[in-house]
Amino acid sequence: MAAVHGDAHGHGHDDHHPSGIMRWITTTNHKDIGTMYLWFSLAMFFVGGTLAMGIRAELYQPGIQILEPELFNQFTTLHGLIMVFGAIMPAFVGFANWQIPMMIGAPDMAFARMNNWSFWLLPVAASLLVVSFFVPGGAAAGGWTFYPPLSTQGGLGVDLMIFAVHILGASSIMGSINIITTILNMRAPGMTLMKMPMFVWTWLITAYLLVLVMPVLAGTVTMLLTDRHFGTSFFNAAGGGDPVLFQHIFWFFGHPEVYIMILPSFGIVSEVIPTFSRKPLFGYSSMVYATASIAILSCFVWAHHMFTSGMPVVGQLFFMYATMLIAVPTGVKVFNWTATMWRGSMSFETPMLFSVGFIFLFVIGGFSGVICAIVPIDIQVQDTYYVIAHFHYVLVSGSLFALFAGAYYWLPKWTGRMYNETLGKWHFWLSMFFFNLTFFVQHFLGLAGMPRRIPDYALQFADFNMVSSLGAFGFGMTQVLFVYIVINCIRSGEKAPQKVWDGATTLEWTHLPTPAPYHSFEKPPVLK
Amino acid sequence: MNKIDTQQKKATVLQIARAVLSAFMGIRKKSDHEFDAETLKPMQVIIGGLIGGVLFVISVLLLVNFVVR
Repeated sequence: MAAVHGDAHGHGHDDHHPSGIMRWITTTNHKDIGTMYLWFSLAMFFVGGTLAMGIRAELYQPGIQILEPELFNQFTTLHGLIMVFGAIMPAFVGFANWQIPMMIGAPDMAFARMNNWSFWLLPVAASLLVVSFFVPGGAAAGGWTFYPPLSTQGGLGVDLMIFAVHILGASSIMGSINIITTILNMRAPGMTLMKMPMFVWTWLITAYLLVLVMPVLAGTVTMLLTDRHFGTSFFNAAGGGDPVLFQHIFWFFGHPEVYIMILPSFGIVSEVIPTFSRKPLFGYSSMVYATASIAILSCFVWAHHMFTSGMPVVGQLFFMYATMLIAVPTGVKVFNWTATMWRGSMSFETPMLFSVGFIFLFVIGGFSGVICAIVPIDIQVQDTYYVIAHFHYVLVSGSLFALFAGAYYWLPKWTGRMYNETLGKWHFWLSMFFFNLTFFVQHFLGLAGMPRRIPDYALQFADFNMVSSLGAFGFGMTQVLFVYIVINCIRSGEKAPQKVWDGATTLEWTHLPTPAPYHSFEKPPVLK
Repeated sequence: MNKIDTQQKKATVLQIARAVLSAFMGIRKKSDHEFDAETLKPMQVIIGGLIGGVLFVISVLLLVNFVVR
């Protein structure tokens, strides 16, 4: 494998690869493509974040101040879609591109050209989403879940969104096939499945989930498209269709999607915590099994998103019990992380701070998830700010915090330079403070009955909304600090040694210089 | 050598069931896991997992029916 790869890339590319913009457009190098994924997702994070600032600015006080209701709905819809499909998912694929080949001792991804294509589909889809704000009727406004009848009635913006989702889905499927093939076929001799780093395991399982559910999403939006333009009535009650059918199909995709966005975070945290505890991961095999378990169970719980849509009590109880069972493998994971830290020789550099913050806040999000899984409670809090608070605890302090942990952890390896530790710690503590300021109070708003996706609210919700908006502005500003830290690191950080973190044990630290060379592991490493 | 092979064959169905059940619980000893990785074929685990999934759904449904009866 290494010899073949060396022939194909070793001679030609090192000497003659294009420079300037063409390097990035034509690249088949996993590190270049990983870098592009990460910058793209950071850019989309700020686009989605700007929409969030708009939402919170409007909700700062009761009454309509800044955004008309229709535009407000477009903001909430596109905020969700851009953050899920444009920021979180591509960021994890960026990590996969950079890290998986280096962690398993492979020279590159299995399908290097398809890798390039997977990435370059993303800016196209993102442009469609952003451009949809400026077409007649504006962007899609029916929520990121685009339930009919709203999505069968919307304007051109909905069509652009459907097309964007198709493209993003194709990109994700290609990316997953690439990741699965790379992990199964390109591991260095001696790197058995059992010895793979946890991050690689979580991505392998995530990639299978993606291949399973992305076609379902593609089918759903295609049915929506034919309902809108080609006279079918899958979801149109007037033609004999069923809008609730859409919800079932959508959430059959949507719930595994939640785990697609959290399993790689588990992987990152499972790399960072052992490193900074200077101990091997406690219960490695249980971690692998728990990840598989979460993935399997995630396919049987989708209808807990639609308890109020109308369902027999047998169905409600089935999905309630199945959902609550997910707490078992998730609890196994939290136990194992805690046990890894127990009596470890711990230090709290920025990646570790974000990982510990992740555990603390993700557990809060997990518990509020169990609360939402209980049917009688869910019927009370459905579509309120309680649900908003719940899933932001899982996706922001879960996925996003883990992404920050991973970024600080691997930045020295990627760039060859250290980030500013003091600023990194500031970034963590400010994020921690403002995140909780923004979202903890939303639990109270939800329990008091404030519905989601509205631009105006009753006066009794005013104080907590003001607090939440102030927190959101602070959180947004804090993320600008992250960009400064990254650019500062790339431009003028101190030179980093090969093994930046003394507790690190994976191949990129033990076998590769810093910064990681453009082509790594052309000859597979010798493993014990 | 032959003895080991026959022992593995005998243990296979139970071994798959154990591996799949452990996966559903999320808890597995490292030594057992290593044994799984060496002895079980991917197809066995996939089929075992599918059967396990069906059994999981049936058992939750039975529980639900028992509760609402």
